[in-house]
Amino acid sequence: MNLARYVLWRIVQTIPVLLGITTITFLLTNAMPGSPVDIMVGPEMDEALEQALKERYGLDRPLHERYLIYISNVLQGDLGVSFYYDEPVTQKILERLPVTALLVGSAYTFGLGIAIPLGVLSAAYRNRWIDHVSRVIALFGVSTPSFWIGLVLIIVFAFHLGWLPSSDLVRPWRSPAQVTNASTWLEVWYLSARSLVLPTIALGTLQMAAAMRIERSSMTETLGKEYIRLARGYGVPERTVLRRHAFRAAQLPVVTIVGLNVSTALGGSVLIETVFNINGMGRLIITGIQTQDYPLVMGTTLFFGVLFLVGVIITDISYAYIDPRVTYGDAE
Amino acid sequence: MAIGERQEAGSDDVETRAVGWRHTVKAVREDTTARLGLYLIGGLTLLAAFTWFDYLVFDYAIAETVWYHPENDPDVVDSLLPPAFVDGGTWAHPLGTDHRGRDLLVRVIYGTRISITVGFLSTAIGMIGGTAVGAIAGYYGGLVDDILMRLAETIYAIPFLVLVIAFMAAFGRSITYAMVGVGVAVIPVFARLIRSRVVTVREMTYISAARAAGVKNRWIIIRHIIPNSFAPVIVQGTLQIGISILIIAGLSFLGYGAQPPTPDWGQMLSESRGYMLPQPWFSIWPGIAILFTVMAFNLFGDGLQDAVDPQLED
Repeated sequence: MNLARYVLWRIVQTIPVLLGITTITFLLTNAMPGSPVDIMVGPEMDEALEQALKERYGLDRPLHERYLIYISNVLQGDLGVSFYYDEPVTQKILERLPVTALLVGSAYTFGLGIAIPLGVLSAAYRNRWIDHVSRVIALFGVSTPSFWIGLVLIIVFAFHLGWLPSSDLVRPWRSPAQVTNASTWLEVWYLSARSLVLPTIALGTLQMAAAMRIERSSMTETLGKEYIRLARGYGVPERTVLRRHAFRAAQLPVVTIVGLNVSTALGGSVLIETVFNINGMGRLIITGIQTQDYPLVMGTTLFFGVLFLVGVIITDISYAYIDPRVTYGDAE
Repeated sequence: MAIGERQEAGSDDVETRAVGWRHTVKAVREDTTARLGLYLIGGLTLLAAFTWFDYLVFDYAIAETVWYHPENDPDVVDSLLPPAFVDGGTWAHPLGTDHRGRDLLVRVIYGTRISITVGFLSTAIGMIGGTAVGAIAGYYGGLVDDILMRLAETIYAIPFLVLVIAFMAAFGRSITYAMVGVGVAVIPVFARLIRSRVVTVREMTYISAARAAGVKNRWIIIRHIIPNSFAPVIVQGTLQIGISILIIAGLSFLGYGAQPPTPDWGQMLSESRGYMLPQPWFSIWPGIAILFTVMAFNLFGDGLQDAVDPQLED
């Protein structure tokens, strides 16, 4: 099977999962007590208004009919109109997505940037001080709640030292005219980078710790293999052994964990966006649930699912680049 | 190796050796960090049991008489006190007080009740559900396998936190629903794990022998397949308790977990957000409590992992 066919096959495989996500979210949102119209109209009900609203949003139809309508709309790329914002859900998601993508992307860069070198060093100098230090860091990293790291960072770096802002994320793509305290693009990017530091550390620590642990154990395992011993026996310098022989072969489990953790990172962004008052996808879904905004909740959840599946497919494809032994087999 | 079969550390060449319980116990005993984790878990569980006792039998009477010191505590005056070792603190409230003058040490100690209980129970739900789903999918294979595993994948694709919040929005905000929600959300984790083991165990000679002897499928699964696939589930279960405690803390922080006035770490952190400037210590203690609790499960889980799967031992 070639790459294009493999990717196509993987996409076909995600269809039942996507259908499942749509069904689960549809059922859960519709099981919410009360109706979104109650929230819109308020306690002093106007019967006629209520009826009109229900008709407008199609809420007067029976459940199965609404489900079929929803599915067929989704298939046409229409996620419906948000009750709360009165805007198409797709538009709302596209507006918020870049913010969350920036946050998650920078958290990953931070996490992997530390995890990979430390994990490799940890395996190379097993039971030496650098190994102990990085193992302790990793242990703390997987045990600490990300939102609490956020709170502590705010207390120390924003309130106590006053070095960095405690809330909001300056979007680097906003023009200088829209950003307070900025007159040039350079200033916008500077402010943006500053506002990104604390949320990045808060969200990225878990990714760092998880990746570091797996990097260490995978490198340790690889370094114990026959061909590594052979290379050493030939007198290949240790540095070259690490870089050329062991590193690449040890990356498959790391890539797997990083891919699967996309979901954790997206979930974590809900918390981090709350702590730092960032208006991203995470806040969007919370708003949707609090206002019983059915289309918004269903749309954002589905979108989270799509992002996760894309991450998994990219992970699978990248296997072949890392390890030439991997084929796009016909096994499945 | 075909693509799509995920590689996990340790899954290469060496087949995980079946190791007896006696060996496991011995290995954990010799591992200092695992022992430390076990002691911490034991201590926290005792603490949780004690707070349950006080809550159920005395309606927090012990907490109030022993630690609150109501006689020298005219509430409002003592709100947002710093810890005793900081200027302005008092030893009547060693860790300080919250915005309503409640003792933080007492609240942090009583927070173990929710975290430990919910951590254990939600993991139990996930483990039991996941074992059933994974064993059935792996043993029967075919269409049953396809349907169950696609379903597991579906649940897995939605971030935990989002799924559980949606679940609670539908059924109601309470710690019980949070627990069930987290339990259901982690079913796929265990289902995948046990399925991958069952697929190997299924091909063993003794299973064919049992089948040839006319043993019913259901009995083969319960009596032979599950016990022989269970070691990694125990390890994952230990680590999962820690992860569940983190998720529950996050849920409570967002207002979807324990509801006030129940003392709970995540919820305390949520309340502390409004007082980070005047009294930062309020935000510190509950986080440290979560950190050490989760770490205890990680330490013990890692030790178990090494004991069950000796190839990565140092």
